[in-house]
Amino acid sequence: MSEKTTQQTQTAQPDADPSPTTTTGETVEQTRDEWTDYEFRGETKIAVEDLDVHYGDDHALKGVSMEIPEKSVTALIGPSGCGKSTYLRSLNRMNDRVSSARIDGSVRLDGREIYQDGVNLVELRKRVGMVFQSPNPFPKTIRENIAYGPKKHGDLETGLLARLLNRSDADERDELVERCLRDAALWDEVSDRLDDNALGLSGGQQQRLCIARCLSVDPEVILMDEPASALDPIATAKIEDLIDDLAEEYTVVIVTHNMQQAARISDQTAVFLTGGELVEYGDTDQVFENPHSERVEDYITGKFG
Amino acid sequence: MADASQTDAKLVESETTETDAVAGVAVGLSAVLFSLSVAAMFERVSLTGSLLGLPTVTLLGGLLTALGVAVVAFGAGSRLGYVETDPDPSAGLVAGFGAAVPWIVVGGSVASQTLALGTAVGVVAGMAVGGVAFALTVLPREDVGSTLPLGSLLALTGLVFLTGVIGPAWVWELDWAQQAAITAEFLIPVATLFSALYGGWASAKAYGGFGARGRHMGAYVLVYLNALSIVAFLFILVAFVVVQGIPGLLNGVELGLGSGPQTTILGVSVTLPVSVPFVMNGVALFNDFQGVLPAIVGTVWLVLGAVVLAVPLGVGAALFLTEYADRGRFTQVVEIATNGLWSTPSIVFGLFGFAFLIPRFGNGKSLLSGMVTLGFMLLPLVVITSREAMLSVPDEYRDASAALGVSKWQTIRSVVLPAALPGVVTGVILGVGRIAGETAPILLTMAGGTFVPGSQTVDVLGSFQFTSAPPFVANPALLEATSALPYQLYALISAGVGASSNVGNADEFRWATALVLLVVVLSFYAIGIATRYYFRRRLKHT
Ligand SMILES: Nc1ncnc2c1ncn2[C@@H]1O[C@H](COP(=O)(O)OP(=O)(O)O)[C@@H](O)[C@H]1O
Ligand SMILES: [Mg+2]
Repeated sequence: MSEKTTQQTQTAQPDADPSPTTTTGETVEQTRDEWTDYEFRGETKIAVEDLDVHYGDDHALKGVSMEIPEKSVTALIGPSGCGKSTYLRSLNRMNDRVSSARIDGSVRLDGREIYQDGVNLVELRKRVGMVFQSPNPFPKTIRENIAYGPKKHGDLETGLLARLLNRSDADERDELVERCLRDAALWDEVSDRLDDNALGLSGGQQQRLCIARCLSVDPEVILMDEPASALDPIATAKIEDLIDDLAEEYTVVIVTHNMQQAARISDQTAVFLTGGELVEYGDTDQVFENPHSERVEDYITGKFG
Repeated sequence: MADASQTDAKLVESETTETDAVAGVAVGLSAVLFSLSVAAMFERVSLTGSLLGLPTVTLLGGLLTALGVAVVAFGAGSRLGYVETDPDPSAGLVAGFGAAVPWIVVGGSVASQTLALGTAVGVVAGMAVGGVAFALTVLPREDVGSTLPLGSLLALTGLVFLTGVIGPAWVWELDWAQQAAITAEFLIPVATLFSALYGGWASAKAYGGFGARGRHMGAYVLVYLNALSIVAFLFILVAFVVVQGIPGLLNGVELGLGSGPQTTILGVSVTLPVSVPFVMNGVALFNDFQGVLPAIVGTVWLVLGAVVLAVPLGVGAALFLTEYADRGRFTQVVEIATNGLWSTPSIVFGLFGFAFLIPRFGNGKSLLSGMVTLGFMLLPLVVITSREAMLSVPDEYRDASAALGVSKWQTIRSVVLPAALPGVVTGVILGVGRIAGETAPILLTMAGGTFVPGSQTVDVLGSFQFTSAPPFVANPALLEATSALPYQLYALISAGVGASSNVGNADEFRWATALVLLVVVLSFYAIGIATRYYFRRRLKHT
């Protein structure tokens, strides 16, 4: 570790600033030049360019640009309040729900701009799903939790009228429920109590149920905002394994405050630092072992949090 | 080693000793006295009669004296080291004030009334006696301080009853208001009640061995007795109405096939196997037994109508305020206005109905005017409670739903409303409790009187008609004048004894009406609580 530190100090000579929290544009620009030409494997799923987010007068995200490759895990790390959640919520336009939020810049999903007139929010959020920090299943049964999205989108008809007309999709629904629960590694634990209230599950099970619920509308991207921060180590390990599996089919973007977790599960890591700047983004091994920016180095080694 | 075994001894409660038993019996005695005083207050126990072979007042006096002596003896025993306790250096200021207040009353009354020394001397004497009690509580060690002043107070009260200084016939004429007098019937139960509370407090402290544990026990007994008394008062109130109302209600009851009146249920004409004239008849000249059927039916329709009107409007308004309107000046104004409406006196609503609704609904008092008036009364509470319930639905549910791409209205319908329903129902339950017993608006918007003829029984379901002109349905029954139970009860009471000529025993008739009103309102409660239970269960279990 010490060897790497010295090496890094040498390469980062130009921006060896005594104050690690400096936010002068120059420092950031210089390091950015070093990492922005990084080539990831895989197609670009989401391309973010010059994203600025304001909450009223509060400038929460400053000119963030990064490309997220498909079918991989991208981790966002950084101290509290640096804008990780804000960034994540910009990717499926959940920030639209905050009346004081103003968003500038461009976010493209498969090359299509999502911040333009005429974008169908229902379609966008079906394709870009989200899992929240604290597990938030609905106060309904496990089965209803998973069938909720497809039902509301009219993809499943199981209401009284459909049953009377003999057009009920109950079988399709049960297949969907089983598939989502299996994909979320929860089926074995709950298959015998699908009609129990979801609030009776443990925290870790609830969070996996939320992941299953997110899968129910067939997303391409899954955004996760500190999904394991409210869970115990065993439940956390299960979620981490699950994320690993999900990355084979889905593009996962995960916020975490736990650096070991980011190092364990992600392919790419983006480091945000106070003030809403993206300071470094690259291959996880490179970011953790050989960061270009001294501030990132300090953050990762715990000198500055 | 010795230290450790000592700590062990303290950690493990020593077994029940005889002295513990004394304190325990004292606590029990306080509870018995407490119940007796409540019973006496409601005349369930006669003060002039006897209980367990003793005159009631003598028995109360004896028990109070025994309790007082036991409390003092326990305190003294603890101070002298015969009883093992763990007292603090002082009983504390709160206990001091607690003991001073009754002693001020006793000292003041004795000096000014018994010794006839005048008001000024009474005040001074009261303060002096109270001061002594305060000092005796605060200055000595806790075991003496929290037993001696209270125990002697109990013993004094008991002796006054025992010796007959205050007996069942005792009266204290107050000169400052001509007709006011404090009678033994009032004083004895109240004095016993407070003495029992104090006795329970002191003996519970003693039972806990004083100190922190003793205080805990004391507080526990006080809180417990208080809760008990609330339940007891409620129970006694209901029991009182039931006991008084039963004879009138059961007047002329017949059981057996074919004894009841004919009705149509779901199009089939049946003869009920039971006849309860009081709830199945109106008033008519040739009836053997008179009843209040029109008012029962009127009350039920009135409440249903008001609920049907107020719930959709109120829930809709609450939805708009919580889910759609931005929080700001406007929602604040609406909030203040609804709170104000809820505290508006019912007679004002009645006046509104009288002046505004009646001219528009056929110019006569009618069921419909009553429904709408009560609906407006119910509306603000439905808005307030629904809003509260919707605000307490966690935003996480809304976020989760939005993140699945579900629209706002669908989210409200499928997630927010079901989660808020128990709260909404609670509001409706409270509101119905208020409007079902309302008299003033009915007085002004619906007809009715002392005795309502059976012909005024409204048949809302049976009188729907189709008409050729818009709005194509009509229901003349809604525009009929009818009555409701609270108003009929009021009319019966204000009619006084003169009413008897019509119904045999007017007093029985009144109490039976009150009982029926109580039953109707409690049935609405029961329905509401069952509904809420159902919705809650859907949210939490299965
Ligand atoms: N809904 C909001 N309204 C106003 N300010 C917000 C809101 N959400 C976040 N912020 C502000 O934006 C900044 C970034 O917050 P956030 O994205 O939650 O950070 P992180 O997730 O990295 O802890 C913070 O200064 C925070 O106060
Ligand atoms: Mg966050």
